Amino acid sequence: MIAVQDLYKRYRTEHGPGRWVLEGVNFVIPLNVNVGLVGNNGAGKSTLLSIIGGVDQPTRGTVDRQCRVSWPMGFGGGLQGSLTGRQNAKFVCRIHGKEREIPEKLEFVQAFAEIGEAFEEPVKTYSSGMRARLQFALSLAFDFDVYISDEITSVGDVAFRKKASQAFIDLVGRSSLIMVSHSEGTLREFCEAGIWLHEGQAHWFDKIDDALHAYNDWVS
Amino acid sequence: MKNLECDLLLYRNSLRITLSVWKALLLREALARLFSSRGAWFWLIAEPVAHMGILGFLYAGIRQHTIGGIDTLVWLVLGVQGFFLFRRTANQTGGAIDSNRALFAYRQVLPIDTVLMRGVLELILMVAVVLVVLFGLSLMGHDVMPADPLMVLEAFFGLWLLGCAVGLIVSAGTEIAPEVRQITNLVMMPLYFVSGVMFPIASIPEPYRDWFLINPIAHGLECVRQGFSSYYYAAPGAGISYLYSIAISGIFIGLLLHRRFANLMVTK
Repeated sequence: MIAVQDLYKRYRTEHGPGRWVLEGVNFVIPLNVNVGLVGNNGAGKSTLLSIIGGVDQPTRGTVDRQCRVSWPMGFGGGLQGSLTGRQNAKFVCRIHGKEREIPEKLEFVQAFAEIGEAFEEPVKTYSSGMRARLQFALSLAFDFDVYISDEITSVGDVAFRKKASQAFIDLVGRSSLIMVSHSEGTLREFCEAGIWLHEGQAHWFDKIDDALHAYNDWVS
Repeated sequence: MKNLECDLLLYRNSLRITLSVWKALLLREALARLFSSRGAWFWLIAEPVAHMGILGFLYAGIRQHTIGGIDTLVWLVLGVQGFFLFRRTANQTGGAIDSNRALFAYRQVLPIDTVLMRGVLELILMVAVVLVVLFGLSLMGHDVMPADPLMVLEAFFGLWLLGCAVGLIVSAGTEIAPEVRQITNLVMMPLYFVSGVMFPIASIPEPYRDWFLINPIAHGLECVRQGFSSYYYAAPGAGISYLYSIAISGIFIGLLLHRRFANLMVTK
C-alpha cells in the first residue's frame, strides 16, 4: 500500500522557489493494483513518480510506503556515467545487500538488457534506448512489491517493447506497477486504476478507462 | 509463517544498509579514481612525486642540506605530503555530492555517505603515496625512519581529519550556495604558502609567527616533522592539540550542516 497525503511540491529555481507543481495531492494505492498516471506535459507526473520512488522529497506532505518500491525506471538517473554497465549493476547489487548474489544478478541483467559488448563500456556512451534497457533489467533483477515506470518503453525499439510488455505481464500477481505513458494502449493493457493529474490535483479513478475519458474530455 | 521468516531475513537495519552503501561507494570511487582515464593511477603517485622532485632539486640540490636540524629532502617531503593529504581530501570530499548525483536515485545512498567514503579513499591513496615516496628516499640513502612514529601518524591523521572537516562543510555549503566552492578554491592556493610547506615557521620573526600559527595546517606539518626527528626545532607554540580541536569542531559543524540540510540536498 502506498498512501500519499497532502503532497505539495515546487522546485527550487535560480530565482527562488518555482510554481507549485503539485498542490495537495491525496490518494491511496491499494496492494496489487496497477495504476496509470495521465496528464498533459508538465502536469507533474514524473515529479509525482520520483517522490513516490523516494528520489525527490516533497515540499510538504508525506508518502507512506508499506512495501518495497523500486526506483523510477525510465528517467536518466540511477546510472553513473563514468562507470560501465557491469560496474553500475554491481554497485546496485551492493547497496541492496545482494553482494553474494552478484554473479547471478549480473547474468540476469546482461541477458535481459541485451546490450551486448556495451555492457563493458561506460554508461555515458550509451544511447537512451540502451540506458532504458539497462535500467529496466536492473530493477527487474530485484524483487520489489511495486515497480515504477516512467515511460520506460517509449525509447526502446520494438523488440525491447515486446520484452518489457512480457515482463510487466509476468509481474502480475507478484508485484504491481505504477506507470506513466502517453500511449493509451499501454495504459489500457496493464493498468486497472488511473490517476489524472490536473492543475496540481490528482483525481483517482477505479477504472483506467474513466481516467482516460476524463483526460480526453478535458483535452478536447 | 514461511513468508514472514523470509521477510525478516530480507529486512536490513539502518546500520547494515549504511555499511553496504559505504562498501559499494568506496569501490565505485576507487574505480573512478584509479581507472577513469588512461594511467589515472600512475598520475596519482607521479603528481606529488614530480612536485617534490622539483622543489627538492631547488632546495636540497642548490640551497641547503639541512633545515631546522633535519635532512632537507625529508623535511620537504613531509611538508608537501602532509599538505597534499589535507588539500586532496578537502577537494575530493568537497566535490563528492556533485559527482555522485546520479546515485541519489537510490534511496539508500545519502549525500553524507559519498563525502565520507571519498575521504576514506583519499586517506588510503595518500598512505600508499607516502610509503612509495619514503621508500624511494630510503633507496637514495636518506634516513626515513621516524623517531616517534606514533606522533607522525597522529599528525598525518589530524591533517586528514581537517581535510574531511573542510570537505564536509564545503560539500554542504555548496548545496546551499554554489559560490562556496569558488571561495574554497581561492583560499587553497595561498594556504599552500602560509602553511610552512616550503619554509620553516620557526624562521619567521615574532609577532608574525603567531599569525602563521593561527593556521592549523602549520601545526600539523610542524608536528609531523618533529615526530620524524627529535632534533628538529619546530616553531615554539606548535602543537597537535590545536590541530585536533579545530578539525574535530569542523567535523562536528560539517555533520550538523549535513543533518540540518539533508532534505535540501536531495531535493531538486
